[in-house]
Amino acid sequence: MISRRDFVKGGVALVSIGTTAQSLLKGAVAFAAQNSAYVADPNNKRTLIIVQLAGGNDGINTLVPASDPVYRSSRKTIGLPEDQVLPLAEGFSLHPALTGLKGLWDDGKLAVVRGVGYPNQNYSHFKSSAIWQAGDPEMNLDNGWLGRTLEQLESQQHDPFLGFNVGNSTPDEMRTPKIAIPSVTDEADYGVKVAGKLVPTTEARTATMLKLYEQYPSNSPYGVLLETTADSAVSSSKMLQDAAKTYKPAVEYPQTSFAAGLSLLAEAITSDLGVRVGHATLGGFDTHNNELAEHQERMETLDGGLTAFYQDLQAHGKADDVVVLTWSEFGRRVAENANGGTDHGAASVCFALGNGVQKGLYGDAPDLAALIDNGNVPYTTDFRRVYATVIERWLGVPSEALLGQRWDPLGFLAA
Amino acid sequence: MDEPLPEPRPGLFQRKTTRRALLGGAAAVAAGGTAVAVLGLAAETGADSGSHKAIIPGISADPTATAAEELARPIEDPRTRAAHLLRRAAWGGTKAQIDEFAALSREEAADRLLNFEAIDNSALNARVTAANFNLTTPGRGLDKKRPPQTRDMQRWWLTRMSYSARPLEERMTYIWHGLLTTQLSQIGVQRAKLMVTQNELFRAHALAKYDDLLQAVSKDPAMMIYLNTIESTKAHPNENYPREVMELFSMGEGNYTEEDIRESARAFTGWRITPPGREKPPEGISEAERREFLDQLYGAYDPKWRFSAADHDNGQKTFLGKTGNFDGADIVAIIMEQPATARFICRRLFKEFAYADPTDETLGKLVDVWNSSQHDTKAVVRAILTGDEFYSMRAYRGRVRSPIEFIAGTVRGLELETDFLQFEQPAQAMDQRLFEPPNVAGWPGGEAWLSSGTFFGRVNFADAFLRKGNKPIPVPALAAYTSPDDLVQGALDRLVDGNVSDEARAAITSHVAAVSNPQERAVTAAYLVLSSPEFQLL
Repeated sequence: MISRRDFVKGGVALVSIGTTAQSLLKGAVAFAAQNSAYVADPNNKRTLIIVQLAGGNDGINTLVPASDPVYRSSRKTIGLPEDQVLPLAEGFSLHPALTGLKGLWDDGKLAVVRGVGYPNQNYSHFKSSAIWQAGDPEMNLDNGWLGRTLEQLESQQHDPFLGFNVGNSTPDEMRTPKIAIPSVTDEADYGVKVAGKLVPTTEARTATMLKLYEQYPSNSPYGVLLETTADSAVSSSKMLQDAAKTYKPAVEYPQTSFAAGLSLLAEAITSDLGVRVGHATLGGFDTHNNELAEHQERMETLDGGLTAFYQDLQAHGKADDVVVLTWSEFGRRVAENANGGTDHGAASVCFALGNGVQKGLYGDAPDLAALIDNGNVPYTTDFRRVYATVIERWLGVPSEALLGQRWDPLGFLAA
Repeated sequence: MDEPLPEPRPGLFQRKTTRRALLGGAAAVAAGGTAVAVLGLAAETGADSGSHKAIIPGISADPTATAAEELARPIEDPRTRAAHLLRRAAWGGTKAQIDEFAALSREEAADRLLNFEAIDNSALNARVTAANFNLTTPGRGLDKKRPPQTRDMQRWWLTRMSYSARPLEERMTYIWHGLLTTQLSQIGVQRAKLMVTQNELFRAHALAKYDDLLQAVSKDPAMMIYLNTIESTKAHPNENYPREVMELFSMGEGNYTEEDIRESARAFTGWRITPPGREKPPEGISEAERREFLDQLYGAYDPKWRFSAADHDNGQKTFLGKTGNFDGADIVAIIMEQPATARFICRRLFKEFAYADPTDETLGKLVDVWNSSQHDTKAVVRAILTGDEFYSMRAYRGRVRSPIEFIAGTVRGLELETDFLQFEQPAQAMDQRLFEPPNVAGWPGGEAWLSSGTFFGRVNFADAFLRKGNKPIPVPALAAYTSPDDLVQGALDRLVDGNVSDEARAAITSHVAAVSNPQERAVTAAYLVLSSPEFQLL
């Protein structure tokens, strides 16, 4: 029987933060990164936070062409009144609930990318999400686009928090078999408990339990997954518990689980845990009916969370180093349906937020009078241009190999 | 995984390999081999693709077999085979059940699970009756004494899974819930009772012809609310159900067009459910009384499918190449004729019981059974549970255990007596809540069950579930053992077929031996086995 220990005896520097050995594969990635033509800039400590708006966010009621006659005639029930929306530029306004984002726009910290999509839009939530998460409409590239990017950011000194997800399971865009991503929902539950109380990994029963994972052969079923998961859990738990002792949010976050998750990301960032890519999800955007009220609530939650997150980072002196990017698997149709909602659509909008962002509207505005596929907004900006922008201009990694081809970055981040 | 292994390349991230291939079974060695080659260590370890194979700790591999041959090899030990079957089809077996099934042929064993109508389930029924679960009425009642309905619904089903004498009936109900999804939170807690109605529908169709199940669920009130069928009108056909019924419940994406969705949406127009009673709350009552009145009203509400001719589109529809004045039932019937449906459902059932990614040949055999039995799910499940693939080393521990399988497997394997009153909070971090799949595609399952957060969720559930207050609970299955060696072996035999490495057994035993209180010692052994890597697999 060959254990992982046997594999790693070859002399790769290993970091052992918990009680278990770092996996062989992490070492291999570090090695590969060192020996490829490109090495990620070790001085770049910037962080990208991805916020997924799950369910298909209605881009048209998020960045609103309020005076467009097609908009007015297509949305008799759910059209947002011209005197309530928050004007930005070129006839586009923000949803009335996005007051915090409007303030950030006024301060020059917000960009909006319009008409974001891809060729031959798929209208299934799952297929379209998979396309966005892979970063490839053809689904030929391996793993997730952030997973591939994280492999390039991996260094010999593996940071357990290099990628950090708020939620229960690893989001598909961050997936790579080579790097374990900590997934946290509630800090109070994030550690091993004995009789209901968190204990250090040196506690006897816990140490025995972890030893079982350390000994489990990597060539047994799910061997690598089980060991790296346990390893990542233990190392990140210790770091997060230490961070929690010193982190004080500078603002009061709204009482939503979305905001609580962002606060957890802020804790990791302000405590310098080495987060390069963070992920949070806000769901509930599949507004087939009763959209006016439901979308309003989603927008309030989004705005409240992102605004508090920004202010917290700003107060901690970190807002220069963090950019937030939002995405959704598709937009919604221009015309409302019979139930005061909208059905699955095509292109939507992305927000980019942070001190490093160059304010403005990017991507051409789609023409609501020239629709495709039975009433859908045609895309004007390939989503991979948005990805290329953050991969190259923020994380400092060449994007071509990661996205399978060359995509021109957009101007919302400086070259 | 039978394909030749890729040549090592320096750009690891460019290598074309799936996560499953990398992480599961023999290919983990392949990945290790590649990485070792990258590290320049291949010569030292002698790692190359032909010389290593999937290792089940405790089971010796055939030294002459290739990795592919090793995976195709049958599980040999009869008790291991029986335990494997009971884990996959019956939430796990007790020691007595494993002994019983070990003496049966494959066919006898499968039929004993499949022909459950004849099995007396009165003990379960008595248990359910005695528990007096609140399955109907939202809210706690005016005196706040009524148990919360959504918690009781979960307790009710977990009790059924854990104590039914017809475990495959519950297993199929769970499979249909995960496939033909509805989210309780989306239809509203006030209508939670409709999830129980839907659950009983799945139980009644546990091993039905798939046509009957799909027709029935299309008219199920919870489903009709969840996917907006009840809102669909002639002027504005709603596309939600037609899209999902094809994408997720029958054919799979890529086997129909957007035009097929629009046309079939017209066919489902006018499908409605009967409304709740129109009684108005009496004048002058308090807000609490008014809410109680509505809770009672919803508790008594038992909606049925009805047809609203005025809302139905009677025109010609062209769907998957056929034209006619179709209604929703016609659409479902056309869907059931599609070869894509045969492949999709057979693949799904195979994945539920055996492993993901069957070969074309394996799938073809199941599709033949599907066709010759007129889509009888019982015949297909029987073919799976008696097949070589199911009893292969590829299937053994070839799936990640879901949290619900974790809970029910714990109760059955350790023969625990529980009312599930304290399961809800500790189960939360494992990330699976009955009646609440994350979205219409159901639980993604597989590797997605394992993250750093759910890892803590699992081990901490084991910690909490084995205690009541500050005391360890009795573990009847382990009570008879006196020596630490026997105790640990007993726990390993019951939960992981005794198949762990000598090192793992020694580590658990040495820890357990240091615990002096017998009851504490038993739960410590149970905790360590439930928390082991082996128990996270099914």
